[in-house]
Amino acid sequence: MSETICAVATPPGRGGIGIVRISGSACQRVARELLGFIPSPRTAIHTDFCAPDGETLDSGIALYFPSPASYTGEDVLELQGHGSPIALERIVGCILDQGVRLANPGEFTERAFRNDKLDLAQAEAVADLIASGSAEAGRAATRSLTGEFSLRIRELDQRVLKLRMFIESAIDFAEEEIDFLGDTEQQSRLDEMRSLVEALIDRSTAGLTMQIGLDVAIAGAPNVGKSSLLNRLLGEDRAIVTATAGTTRDTLHGDLSLDGLPVRLTDTAGLHASDDPIELMGMERAQTALSTADCVLWVIDDADENLSTPDMYRGKTLVVRNKCDLTGNTPGAVGKTEFRTCALTGAGLSDVCEGLKQVAGFRAGTDAFAGRPRHIAALKRVDDALSQAAKELSVREGELVAENLRVAHESLGEIVGITTSDDLLGEIFSTFCIGK
Amino acid sequence: MKFPTAFDVIVIGGGHAGVEAALASARVGASTLLLTQAIETIGQMSCNPAIGGIGKSHLVREIDALGGVMATAADKAGIHFRILNNSKGPAVRATRVQADRVLYRNAIRQAVERQSNLSVFQDMMVDLTLQSDRICSVSTRLGMEIEARAVVLTTGTFLGGRIFVGREQHAGGRAGDPASVELAEKLRSLPLAAGRLKTGTPPRIDGSTVDFSKLEEQPGDEPRPVMSFLGTREMHPRQVSCHITHTNVRTHDIIRRALDQSPMFTGEIEGVGPRYCPSIEDKVVRFAERDQHQIFVEPEGLETTELYPNGISTSLPFDAQYEAVRSIRGFENAQITRPGYAIEYDFFDPRGLLPSLETKNIENLFFAGQINGTTGYEEAAAQGLVAGLNAARKSAGLAAWVPQRHEAYIGVLIDDLTTMGANEPYRMFTSRAEYRLRLRQDNADLRLTPIGRELGLVPDDRFKVFTTRSKKLEACNEALSRTTIRLNSDMANKLSKASGERLSKDIPLLDFVKRPAVRAEHLTSAGVFANTDESYLAQALIDVKYDGYLRRQDQAIARAKDQMSIRLPDELNFREIDGLSNELREKLEHVQPRTLGNAASIPGMTPAALSLLSVYAKRYSGLRKTA
Repeated sequence: MSETICAVATPPGRGGIGIVRISGSACQRVARELLGFIPSPRTAIHTDFCAPDGETLDSGIALYFPSPASYTGEDVLELQGHGSPIALERIVGCILDQGVRLANPGEFTERAFRNDKLDLAQAEAVADLIASGSAEAGRAATRSLTGEFSLRIRELDQRVLKLRMFIESAIDFAEEEIDFLGDTEQQSRLDEMRSLVEALIDRSTAGLTMQIGLDVAIAGAPNVGKSSLLNRLLGEDRAIVTATAGTTRDTLHGDLSLDGLPVRLTDTAGLHASDDPIELMGMERAQTALSTADCVLWVIDDADENLSTPDMYRGKTLVVRNKCDLTGNTPGAVGKTEFRTCALTGAGLSDVCEGLKQVAGFRAGTDAFAGRPRHIAALKRVDDALSQAAKELSVREGELVAENLRVAHESLGEIVGITTSDDLLGEIFSTFCIGK
Repeated sequence: MKFPTAFDVIVIGGGHAGVEAALASARVGASTLLLTQAIETIGQMSCNPAIGGIGKSHLVREIDALGGVMATAADKAGIHFRILNNSKGPAVRATRVQADRVLYRNAIRQAVERQSNLSVFQDMMVDLTLQSDRICSVSTRLGMEIEARAVVLTTGTFLGGRIFVGREQHAGGRAGDPASVELAEKLRSLPLAAGRLKTGTPPRIDGSTVDFSKLEEQPGDEPRPVMSFLGTREMHPRQVSCHITHTNVRTHDIIRRALDQSPMFTGEIEGVGPRYCPSIEDKVVRFAERDQHQIFVEPEGLETTELYPNGISTSLPFDAQYEAVRSIRGFENAQITRPGYAIEYDFFDPRGLLPSLETKNIENLFFAGQINGTTGYEEAAAQGLVAGLNAARKSAGLAAWVPQRHEAYIGVLIDDLTTMGANEPYRMFTSRAEYRLRLRQDNADLRLTPIGRELGLVPDDRFKVFTTRSKKLEACNEALSRTTIRLNSDMANKLSKASGERLSKDIPLLDFVKRPAVRAEHLTSAGVFANTDESYLAQALIDVKYDGYLRRQDQAIARAKDQMSIRLPDELNFREIDGLSNELREKLEHVQPRTLGNAASIPGMTPAALSLLSVYAKRYSGLRKTA
């Protein structure tokens, strides 16, 4: 029997409600000690939470979920109080006196996973949910948690299995009049699968971006208004702005949220020829920021005819033609990656924000999954294998189609568990009348 | 009574497993005895008169590459040869031979009689003697006790065999032969997990009563392939055709009406039959929407008119068989010579075996063939060879040799059996081999003959043929990688013309032949490699064609090797591993994987679960060191 664990389930310090969660066989004992009774299962009951000496610590809702119908699969008791940190601490202290220990981070989820309450993808999604910093990412994590990601992957897995069944039966049972290699249906089956995989990759990547956010560097020549842009985007005077070129000598950071997409902005020193050692150091830091950013806002003076943008950066580049108030041009998007702005008034900035969301693969439909890098990598391997399979199918190389599908299936198996050749043969035998 | 001589190895049974076991054991130098109920039935094909087929001929070529007899016997007895999957890739291409039963048996018996170190004795094994969980002798019905260092059991369908025709049933090992009842009882008293399996045969038909004009003729392939690496067309006897007919709605009605008489549907047979080789009553019930099923009409031999209608194996009562056969096109006046029957027999869970095919619980006792839950001559022979070899090696104090999954179908077969067991009679399919692109018929000798030579399995004459062949192949590969096609050269023009492929610049020949449209005959007809046998060129091109895939598989093999090298401690308790799902935990407890690689092949296994296992394996071995 594993130990009973407890923890404060709400974030520390904040909120009008504080929840203490207990999981394990000692729940009933804890309930008797603190509440004086065992609440009837799955019913919210308003009661006092008392210390063993009778002192009332807090009052609130008690909820009891007996095993196995609980989040962790064990007995679970939840005490929902008023969220005063001192009261919460005293409640936990009384519970620990009952031979209960503090839970390790993620231990409730781990137990849920261990007791078959969650599959691996769901357990990882819970981890993401806890770690996610923004509401959008939270929603994406919830969608995986409810099993939609698992569901989609399993659906794809079934489709791969089905196509493999056709291909493998044509190979292994050549005398059985079940040669489907030449059917155009197989090609369209492959095409459908590929669009499914690609959609999954997009949705997972978007979910991943929602969690880790977008790193954006603001760069350009001195005195084009980079710092003004930063200040305007952040809505606060973070950077010192003067009319003197080279005012920003170090990189400056600021975080903002674009409809839940975490964006980390870095203002960099203007890039120009200089022999001031401090300016040179600033420019060196600017180069580093540029080379690691997901996206660069390359700011130029709208009056400047020279459009050349740097192409040495890892991420995408959006061109911001600032000070359009001086040229009299209309602020807003010029193209997909080019914008006219006036950082002083904020005109055109909402279009820049839309551009950043585009770069992040932000999905307005909020149908992102809490993708994990491991899942995305596996899905990319599936995509590669399927596209190779399509190529081989077009030249009727049956055994190579089969090989690529096997690899695709194996990669999917890394997310949902492997399918063996015996499972595949079982599928063939139950579908086709095979055998002399 | 003690038998006058003791042996290193005794092989029980003269079927396809027993013969290869006895021959392999004797080839590597062990004094070997083949003990059989009836010398006349050594090498008997109890079921259909054919060797090979998809996945199966791959096994046959591997047995051949290791010096076994099956392929050359098939060449000597083959009366109809076909290449299957000819239009598909070379990796899945297979050879199938219809064999004359008498010629096949003769070829096998001749090989057994000519093998040095091998004696044959006709008697039935009824008992065995153990000395502290180690086998030391076998006893026969005539009261003989024969001592041996190691024993290989290849009992086929004889162990506790029961034959069913309709509601009739009796003990039997095969139509006309007695079952091994006492031995079955003895083995069931040992610490081995026994089970029952089922298989069946169709009724045989007198060909002189068949109207062949109503059947579709299926001649053998020309040019005619050979089965063995030593095979030549000159070895083949006269060739004949097979025929194809079909069941029909009336046949199915007759069968449906008789189902209440079928021992499989009345529950008298408890053994599990193969899903890929269902009885005709199974097909009619499970695929009720089909209004016909294919029947391959195979000749039993050159000197007999008897036919084997492959596709209608049955255990229906004889009157229903008779009526059903006569409802089939071409069989309207057919006479049945032998009724079809189902046979149920004992097997032992192959997870009780080490990969060497030695039983885990009784030292020096080896199992091969149907006793391990397999079906098919080829699967039996492959196990026989491995069991015979390892019994001989064990008796000489040498470590076992077993090919790995990436080396041979034999390796796939043994790994599948010993880690996953057999829920139904196990048959080889190419889809079971994840390294299918490298495990081909054409390169079985390149994969296995050198190691076979080292093990002592490959005699001089065969090795000489191999050396010549591999040298020619090597020369061919070298020439391929050395040559560059110069734009507008004579060679370039001829190659373009022959293959229809255009050239726009100088390119290495190796790149040119990677184009899907380019075939070996284009090169020879263009005068490139004019002096090279086209078959060598064709084989060299296969490796070029699969190159990228093979290299990717190399990485997978290296990864699998790493996993195989991580041993899971025998004492590891899977119940104690936190984080595994109950389903996986149960599977692991059932399979008892020996290595992380074995665990990786369990259905439903995930990388996360594998990393958990490796962590626990590591933790466990660490604990033991400090203890």
